[in-house]
Amino acid sequence: MSYYLKRLGQSVLVFFVTVTVTFALYRMLPFGPVEMMRANLISQLVQQGNPTPDQIEKVNQMVQAYTGINPDQPWYFAYYEYLYDIVVYQDFGVSITKREPVFQILFAAMPWSLFISIYGLALGTTVSLLLGAAMAYTEGSRFDAGMTVVSIINTTVPYYIVAILALIVFSFNLGWFPSGGRMTPGTTPGFNYPFIAGIVEHAALPILSSFIAGFGGALAFRGNCIREMGKGYIRLARLRGISQGRIAIRYVGRNALLPIYTSIMMGIASLFGSSIILETIFNYPAMGFVTFEALMDRDYPLIMGSFIFFTTLTLLGILVADLTYGIIDPRVKGGAERESY
Amino acid sequence: MASRTQTDTDDFDTDADDFGGDLAEDVVLEVRNANVSFDMDRGESRVLRDVNLEVRRGEVLGVVGESGSGKSMLASAMLDAVVSPGQLDGEVIFHPEDGDPVDVVSLSDRELTELRWNEISFVIQAAQSAFNPTMTVGAHFEETLRAHGSDVEEGLANARELLEDLYLPAGQVLRSHPHELSGGQKQRALIALSLILEPSVLVMDEPTAALDLLMQRSIISLLADLKEKYDLTLVFVTHDLPLVADIADRLAVMYAFELAEVGPTDAIVEDPAHPYTRALLKAVPNVADREIDIAGIPGSSPDPVHVPEGCSYHPRCPLADEECRRDDPAFRSVGDDHEATCFHWEDAADEIPFDTEGHDE
Repeated sequence: MSYYLKRLGQSVLVFFVTVTVTFALYRMLPFGPVEMMRANLISQLVQQGNPTPDQIEKVNQMVQAYTGINPDQPWYFAYYEYLYDIVVYQDFGVSITKREPVFQILFAAMPWSLFISIYGLALGTTVSLLLGAAMAYTEGSRFDAGMTVVSIINTTVPYYIVAILALIVFSFNLGWFPSGGRMTPGTTPGFNYPFIAGIVEHAALPILSSFIAGFGGALAFRGNCIREMGKGYIRLARLRGISQGRIAIRYVGRNALLPIYTSIMMGIASLFGSSIILETIFNYPAMGFVTFEALMDRDYPLIMGSFIFFTTLTLLGILVADLTYGIIDPRVKGGAERESY
Repeated sequence: MASRTQTDTDDFDTDADDFGGDLAEDVVLEVRNANVSFDMDRGESRVLRDVNLEVRRGEVLGVVGESGSGKSMLASAMLDAVVSPGQLDGEVIFHPEDGDPVDVVSLSDRELTELRWNEISFVIQAAQSAFNPTMTVGAHFEETLRAHGSDVEEGLANARELLEDLYLPAGQVLRSHPHELSGGQKQRALIALSLILEPSVLVMDEPTAALDLLMQRSIISLLADLKEKYDLTLVFVTHDLPLVADIADRLAVMYAFELAEVGPTDAIVEDPAHPYTRALLKAVPNVADREIDIAGIPGSSPDPVHVPEGCSYHPRCPLADEECRRDDPAFRSVGDDHEATCFHWEDAADEIPFDTEGHDE
């Protein structure tokens, strides 16, 4: 048990360090939202004459009212207030450009990103595991050689190139799929065919691209399977009359999965990271898209909000991978739980 | 026990018609003209060459030879379990206690599954990686029982008894994962696993490899007990001649993918007829000797792609002459139930003498 607590504590610590460093860096960045706005306002004042300290104080107040940031405050004091609001009031602040609570914006965008990423990841993982296993079982065949080439090309070509190509071919040339948005205009949200079909149509290309982004595991799994198939316990299992299906799943598959399990779980995090680029390419208004816009607008509270979201997901992915590894590999159980004889 | 004593033919009797049960001695497993070959880029690699061997019901047969002499291939061939792409030719005839003999090599996959573990069981060489690391040891027993349609409850009770017979805490071992067991425990659990369906023949490929000397000895004595209790026939493949000599009734010595000498253990240890066996015994260190003087065999064993013409041992043999270089010697009787493949076996004792009287034992 102590292992789980320790591991959880580590994650919380890493989370706070990451958020703190990001907050500080962002605040120290020259020409952040505060400087931008303050410079604009002061230059207006300078044109009217020399600004009095009174006027400058007023400018500062305006900046603070508009951005929610007091430029005179040191960053750590601001950070304390920021955290205080989050912890006590669950308040992530208000977006500077959208004038809406950050939490509301992110909460509305989140399901769409989850939808695309989870389908992409599920498809990518399933297909790459099945393909890897199929290649291992047909090692040396033309299918194996052909799919190896395909997999190498797939991992070499970045997913955003694939996304742009998919957009050109399937949307602009063939017109099969829309080039942006997330639902067909004019449909009523709810459980009806036109609405759901619209959602699927809009999500198809982003899911295809994130499927390709999450697809790299086939070759690694192929190699692991081939290595497992040479092990003594596979030979013995065959001699003992264990069925091929059980050997494939319980012996080869299970053991071949161990080395890539963590990287699959961490793929969840990287997939959300890739959603920033994918959603921008497909003009798909969800988490990634919102984050990118906020970045361009220097919408400081919104960026911090989505940053916290991505950090949480990454840490959760790693944490879940670590905590569940003992379940899939009995050799990695917490020390006190099992005895060795 | 009548032995086969063809002195003139090149081979054992290859006529398949006579295996119908009129063999005087009670043979349980017969290997006939077994060849195993691998196709390689540089030629065909023959890792088992025309091996003829019989295993008698209730005996302990030790198969000895140096590394790469084809011992493991012979063991695998007995269950038609040669690892692909190896190709097994020949016959392996199993004589059930009651029922007609069957040729193991010509069985279908389904029939093979029936035969293995139920009749002939196998202890693979790599005991340390014989268990799936993600399954408990008990799960291996259960799935084996299920795969053969046996009653799981009854089988597990049987497994517990086997484990206790091997001085293992049965409950603990069944609940453990393989990594929680020591090397010796794994080896013993593996032996129990191979006996779960009460086979009549147990083929063991280096069952004491990677164990310390004390554990090797204790496994040997446990095997002797098990053999008595469960009425087993044991085929014990090893490179450790002194070890297997303790329990084996007969020994089969292999050299260069062929059998060199087969006979009763005492005869082979005390007065071997084949120059190779004599040299091999001389290479065994003797604790009783004040001076440790180990006589190695000059040269090295042949490559499976290029086995020498004639007798495969002639390049290393002090007795070799023109005949040895030209013709491959067939088995000839050199004593009671004792055969060797050497033209000059009668001179071997003089040419390669054992200096210490009562060597070993």
